[in-house]
Formats: sequence, C-alpha cells, structure tokens
Amino acid sequence: MSKMPATTLTRRGFIAGAAGTGALLAAGPGLAAGKTLNVLSHKVHQTVLGSGDADLLKEWRKANDAEIAFTTFDSNPLQDRLFREVSLKETEYGVGYLIDNRPTSQIAALFEPLDAYQSKDAIEDFGDIAAGLVQGMTVDGKLIGIPVRHATQGLFYNEALLEEAGISAPPTTLEELIEQAKKTTFTAKAGTPVTGMVLASDLAVFPVMFARAYGGDFVSPDLKLVPNREALESGLAALRGMFESGSLPRSYATTKNDDQVTWLQQGRAAFTVLPFARGAQLNNAEQSKFPGRIKAVEFPGSAAIKGKVPMSSVVEAWAMSIPKNAKDKALAWSFIREVSSKRVTLGMAINGNGPVRVSSYADAGLKAKNPLAEVEAKVLKTARGAFPPFPEAARAQATFLEEVQLAVLGRKPVKDAVSAIIERVKPMMPA
Amino acid sequence: MRTERLLIGAGKALAVIAILFWSLFPILFIAMSSLKPGQDIFAVPPKWLFAPTFKHYAELWRSWGVFFDGLLNSLLITVGATLLAIVASACAGYVYSRNSGRWLGASLLGLIIIRLIPPIVVTLPLFPIVNALGLSDTHLALILLYATFFVSLGTVLMRTFMDQIPRELDEAASIDGASRMTILRKVILPLAMPGVLAVAVFVIVFSWNEFLFAFIFTATKAKTAPLVISEMIGSIDGVDWGILFAAATVQLVPVLVFVVFMNRYLVAGLTAGSTKG
Amino acid sequence: MQLQRTARILPLLAPVHLLILSVIVLPSLYVVWLSLNTSSFGQAPSFVGLQNYWRVLTDPAFHSALLNTVVLVVVAVHLELAVGLGMALLFASGLPFRRFLLVAVLAPYAVSEVTAVVMWRFLFDPDAGPITLALRAFGLPTLDWSFEPSHAMGLIGLLTIWLHLPFTFVIVYAARLAIPGELYEAARIDGATRWQAFRRVTLPLLGPAMLIALLFRYIFAFRLFSEAWLLTKGGPARSTEVVAIYLYQEAFSFNAFGPAAATAWIMVLASLLLAGAYVLLLRRGGISHAH
Repeated sequence: MSKMPATTLTRRGFIAGAAGTGALLAAGPGLAAGKTLNVLSHKVHQTVLGSGDADLLKEWRKANDAEIAFTTFDSNPLQDRLFREVSLKETEYGVGYLIDNRPTSQIAALFEPLDAYQSKDAIEDFGDIAAGLVQGMTVDGKLIGIPVRHATQGLFYNEALLEEAGISAPPTTLEELIEQAKKTTFTAKAGTPVTGMVLASDLAVFPVMFARAYGGDFVSPDLKLVPNREALESGLAALRGMFESGSLPRSYATTKNDDQVTWLQQGRAAFTVLPFARGAQLNNAEQSKFPGRIKAVEFPGSAAIKGKVPMSSVVEAWAMSIPKNAKDKALAWSFIREVSSKRVTLGMAINGNGPVRVSSYADAGLKAKNPLAEVEAKVLKTARGAFPPFPEAARAQATFLEEVQLAVLGRKPVKDAVSAIIERVKPMMPA
Repeated sequence: MRTERLLIGAGKALAVIAILFWSLFPILFIAMSSLKPGQDIFAVPPKWLFAPTFKHYAELWRSWGVFFDGLLNSLLITVGATLLAIVASACAGYVYSRNSGRWLGASLLGLIIIRLIPPIVVTLPLFPIVNALGLSDTHLALILLYATFFVSLGTVLMRTFMDQIPRELDEAASIDGASRMTILRKVILPLAMPGVLAVAVFVIVFSWNEFLFAFIFTATKAKTAPLVISEMIGSIDGVDWGILFAAATVQLVPVLVFVVFMNRYLVAGLTAGSTKG
Repeated sequence: MQLQRTARILPLLAPVHLLILSVIVLPSLYVVWLSLNTSSFGQAPSFVGLQNYWRVLTDPAFHSALLNTVVLVVVAVHLELAVGLGMALLFASGLPFRRFLLVAVLAPYAVSEVTAVVMWRFLFDPDAGPITLALRAFGLPTLDWSFEPSHAMGLIGLLTIWLHLPFTFVIVYAARLAIPGELYEAARIDGATRWQAFRRVTLPLLGPAMLIALLFRYIFAFRLFSEAWLLTKGGPARSTEVVAIYLYQEAFSFNAFGPAAATAWIMVLASLLLAGAYVLLLRRGGISHAH
C-alpha cells in the first residue's frame, strides 16, 4: 500500500508547506510558542490542514499556545519510523499517523489506548465517524487510533479515449472492462500509443481487487488465506490475459503508483485504479492533457457475482495515534480532538482529504468541489482494507506480489502461482 | 611499416573516442538536457541544437526549496566530516609513522580490516543509539558516521605520506623545544599537505554523495541533497524530468569541478590507499 | 619509558580509535547479539541460538540474492578489470592530451550513485532514452530492463562499472607506470614480440596490483545497495535483489531484526575473508612494484 496518497500532494501545496516550515524555522524563538507538538505523518496530512490564513488549526495553536512541527515521510518509511520511535524509551513525537493494516496486537500495545480520553474529553459527535474505520483501529478491544483519512479505490477512465475507440459508456462488469481495455489499446488520433490499462505492480491493492471481482480475496477479514482459490485464479488469469494482449504496459514490473497518474494525464493509458481523491489531480489543467475528461466509477465486479455479492473495493485508512512513550499526551489528545471536529474534517475534505465523517459527504460545498463525492460515498459503504493486520503482513504482501508478478509476466502458470501463494504465505499467518 | 603505424594511430584514436564517450557522455547529456525546453527532452531523435533555457532551474528553485536546504545540509556535513577526519587521521597517522611496536602494528592492521566492513551492517544497531544520544536527524550524526568510515583509510594515507618526511626535521624541532603537537602542526602537516588533500578528496566526495546513511538517519532537518534527488525520482511526473536533470546537475557540478582540480591527489590517494598498509 | 611513550601517543591515537570503536566495532558486536535473538517492534528479544542463520541460509530469497550478487560481482568486476587494464596500457603507450584524458576518465568518480541512476535510467529509458533510440535506429536489440530481470541486472552491472572504473584504472595504470622502461628495452633486444613482452613483462609485474584492485572491488561490489535499490528496488518479483537489499528488506520492511542481523554477519564474514586475503598479500610485500 505504499505510496497511495503521495501525489495527492500538489506541487503548490508542497511549496506552501515548505514555505510554512521555512517561515516557522526562520521565526524561530521569535514566535516563542509555549509548547511544540511534534507530529510524525505523511506530507499529505499536513497539506490538507492548510497553511497561512487557510490554516485550519489557527485557533487551536493560539488557544493552546502551541506550535505544530510536522516530520513527514512516504507511507512505508513513515510506518517503519513510527514503530522504531514508539519502541524507544521516550519519543519526541506526540502524535503519529498510522495506516489501518499495520497495528498488530504487538504494535497496538505500543500506543496509548484512547477510550479513556474519549470518555473524559469526547470528540464531537463521535458516532458520525464511519463505524468500519473505527472498528479497524480497535485492537484487542482497545481504541488506539482516531480515523482521519481514507483513500477508497475507484476505476478511472479517460472519456475522450473511450469515445475515440467507439465506447459510449464505462464498463459495468469486469468482462466489459477487459474488453474495453483491449479496444483502447491502440494509437490515438493524436499519435500517442495508448495502453488500455495501467496498474502498479508493487501494490497488493490491484490483484486483490481482481480477486474480489470474482468473489475471492487474498486474506479475508477473519484471517483466512485465499478463502476462494478459483476466484483468485480467475482474477490473476484476467490480469495475465490483459498483459498478454498488451492492454497492460510491457513495463508492468517496474510500473509505480505515480506512473499511473502520469500515464492517465498524458493519455498513454485509458483506464487505471486510483483513490477517488486523485480525481482533482488527474483533471488538473496544468498537468493533464485531458482536464475534465477523466472520470471515475465503481470498480466493477465480474458478471458471475453481479447482483449476488457486492463488489468490495479496497480502502486504506489513516488514523491519529499517541505513542505510549510520548511526553505531552494531553496536548496530543487536544490536537486529535480538534482535527477530528466536524469543522476541520470538512475543511480537510475540501482540501482533498477523504473525509471519515458521513456528514461531510452531505455538505453542498464539498459536492460542488468534488464531483466524485457521491460515488465515493457509495463505494465506501462496502469497501474494506486490502488485508487485515497480522504480524507478518508485510512479508506476506511481498510474497503475494512476487508470485502475482511471476504469473502476470507469464513466467509461471497462474495455477502454480496461486499454489505457491498458499504454500508460502501459510507459515506467515497467525496461528 | 607506414600503414601499420597509421592503423595503430587510427585504433588509438577510436579507443580514445570510445573512452571519452563512455566517461563523459552520460554527464554531458544530462547537463545538456537540463537546459532543454520541456518537450525537447523527449524529442525523437534527440535534439542537439536548441535554444537553452534556465526554465527548469527556475522551477527547481520555486518548487523544490527542500533541494536547496539539502545542498546546504550536504555542505555543512561535508565540511564537518572532512575537518574531523583530517584532524583525527593526521594525529593517528603521525603516531604510526614515527613509532613502531607490536601493539601499534596490530592496531593498524585492525584499522585496515575494519575499513572493509560493509556500512549497511551498522545501520541496524545504530538507530537506537543515535536516537538515545538525541542525534537522530542531526548534522552531527552524519558527520560522525562519514568521518568514521574514512579515518582508517585516512590514517593509512597520512602515515604513508608522513613516512616520506625525514625524521631529522622532528628531531631538530624537538631540540628547539617544540612540543609534539606543535611539531605536527608547524613542521609535519605543511609538508604532508598532499596527504591531507588526498584524504580531503576522499571524504569530500563520499560525504557529498552518500545515500544509505542519509536515507536511514535523517528525516527533515539534516536531509542531504542526494536524498532529495532520490525522492524526486519517485515523485516526479513524466513531464518534469527537466527539473530532475537540473537538480542532478546542480548536485554534480561542484564535486566534479573539485575532482578535476584535485585529480593529482585523487590518483595519489587511490594508489597509496590500496597498495600500502 | 614504555609507559611514558604510551601516555604521549595515546591522546593522538584516541580520536580515530574512539570513533571506530563506538561507530563500527561495538555496534557490530551488538549485531552479533541481535542475530542470536528473535525480535521486532514491541517484542522483547528472546534467545534462539543460530536459528536466524539457519533461516537465512535456507531462505530461497537469500539464495537468489546471493546468486545475483555473486554473478554481478564476478562479471562486473572482471569486465571492469579487463577494460581498466586495456585503458592503462593504452595510456602508457603514449597519448596526446594525456592529462585531460586522465581527468575525463576520473570524472565518474565524482558522480553520486543517485545522480548516476538518474542518468542511466534516462539513457536507457525504454520509450525515450537516447541510447535505446540509437540502438533501435541501428536495428540492434535494446535493453529491456523494465521487463527482463537479466537485462535489469545488466544495467545495474553497467552502472557499477561506470562508477568504479576510475578506481580500477588508476590502480593498474599506476602499477604500469612503475615498471621500468629498461625491462621492455631488454625484451626488445632479446627479440621478443609485443605480445611476448606483454606476457612476460607486463602481466607478471602488474599481477599484484591487479589482484589488489580485484580484492577491493570484490569487497565493495559485495555490499552494493544504492544502484540496485534506486533502479529496481530488487524487482520484478525480487529477481534483481542483492544481499544488501535482502538485509534492508528483512530489517526495515519486515522488521525481522534477527534474520537481518544474521545476514549482516554473513556479509561481514564474507568481507573479512576477502580482507584476510588482501592483508596477506600486503604482508607478503608482493605489491611493492605497484608504486
């Protein structure tokens, strides 16, 4: 799940952030805020909170006489760093951002249980925060993180290229998607060679979505490894078929998440799977050759499951947590409480954050700003994480991806790859 | 006879062209591409004539402020590591050059062997230590790391160069009443300047370019330029290659110029550092 | 007297040895302890003996990483030596603008691994890289490195050679310059052909320096990390993983500190073995010709 939110970060947001940090450093002791809250997060979390006059936490800073110092990393290095920090004797960081599939029992034990804080000094209308996301942050009966962002995967397509290929409507089944991807593997009128679909090969999200389209999974929420073998085989066979027919790029093995954005913006691919929140970036007139023409729908299930099982897309969620070895936990909770308020949640959503509050989606301002809000809210209802947390999840994901790549590139028959996944990942599953 | 010489000459010329192409083409091509307008970078066939533009450099300045912070960090760390490595190796090199004995011989051998331990090995245990000392994400942490991985080579080099300075000079100074430190500073070091410069070339090139330690031990405050470039590789959109080339050029030019001017000391250091001990 | 001397030289020796002790030696010993335990975040270490070593040594992923590393080291380093030798002989045979050419050859030494990756990735970009385009224009096969693992390894090897050729070249060239001209004169008078002079004079006298260059490059190529990491991250399907990447993955991606530490010690032992050979060579004084 590495870099999903990485490029939600626009260049401008980045400068603003950098300038903000610069100004803060330059002002230094002059600001003389009484306290500093150190936050370990992804850049995107800092960006959506705004800066300068648009800073959503302006009043909080003033009221608490505190400054907020962000340290930001890309997703996987961020989680590694966070766990290294919390396993020390003491850490400078008051708040750490946690991805939902990482907290195992062992790791969760390193974070402060938040139930007591919640009962003493409750977050505004806590019931409004999506129950599934709160559930994901409850480990061994303890709430260890307050959900703050989700990224739900949707199927993006380039309307202009579809029209050129004579396709009038986006696919409603996986079979149609495969067919349309094949049709859009052509040379566009502009002379650009187009590949039907572009997917990164280093994320479990995509093979998992293909397996789910046939009613299967990699690891189910109740920790069953490959609960439906045929479904996973069908999913991988579909990917293999697409690679073979050229509707996945030949450079599939080195394609990264960011390439998906570039390829779609440049019209080099007709379809891709990305979080709905990327819609704005894909249609950004400065970067995209097709502003306003890149749309999104729900990733379709296969004809076989249509009407029987709802398609479950992948959602990745982030939560704010307090390390047990943090120094000023009261300040940290105060920050979390403020960021989780209705006002800030909505403000972040308008800045491009996937809001965790159901009420945010009802807001007219957000609907106007984000045309995908409605379909995203619908997909979110049945979405779940790519796989549940367990101690060896990172290794299991790497092993899964290795076999998937071998199958898609045609170096191993799909059946053998699935057998290898089951055989190799089994010892990594919790007993 | 004449044709043979002609053939040999032609063969040599070809070989020289091949060597130049191999060594310089990648560098020149990137530097040149950083001056090309966006769409020309990917032109097929590549354009050799174009109106140079500093657009990518301006864009780099505007949108990648961290890169310039990174350059400043790299500079601070490089200077710090170089000074530390030179002072430490000069002191130790002097001892090894002017004294002998079983223990000294053994410890010098130890230094040579330890230099050959892969740096990645110590990343694992060093993180908690660096953290416990409050050095995480500081310039000092990288200065200590970089200097340490070069003091063994530095000591060997300084010893080799100091061996060539006649001992009579020390003795004369010592009769005049100079202390050991004074002799080292006033007599030996000025004469061992080529050695100092050879050590400096190694440490400077290494510290300026190092990736692995910077990757593991810095976060934001002490992030070095190579690290920022590696982040740019990951996060840049296809059309922005120009900015990446501009950053690579800016990072490369100072150290390249330095190596060009110091090439004598680099060669001397490379040979002495690996064939003496 | 002895004590006095020790007291005098100790302060001068202290900085170097303290740095090495605290940054390299003690942490390395701590790695030994780590390698005998199983531990991860939030998990207290528990002693498991040599189990981690067993686990690493029987892991197919380690085998493939080791194989990749060995192939890379053997092919790249020897190729590098052959080219370096050829260049040294060319330089020694007399060239115009020799100083300029020498500086040009040294240039890649100044280039960081990160920047080198930016360069070579672009030169060999499958769609727009100038070298790819040139090869295609001549109808030659291109490096399909984003798809074929062997091609990716080829590119990593090329990159390594490019970065380290200056080192190998300088060592061999310096040794070649140290061979007295009279030896060739004598060989010529004895009626030796060019080839015979090379076989009988040049090669034996360059031998020790070449061996030194080889050992150094073995040791340094064995720890190769950045080039491979920045170019392929070990993919596709872990097929271009080298030992250092394996170590990094175990330590920082899978948080399995025991196996990571065991891998680290396997690397140290291999390096020490090569280092031992190097020191032996130094002590035998066999390389006195090299300067």
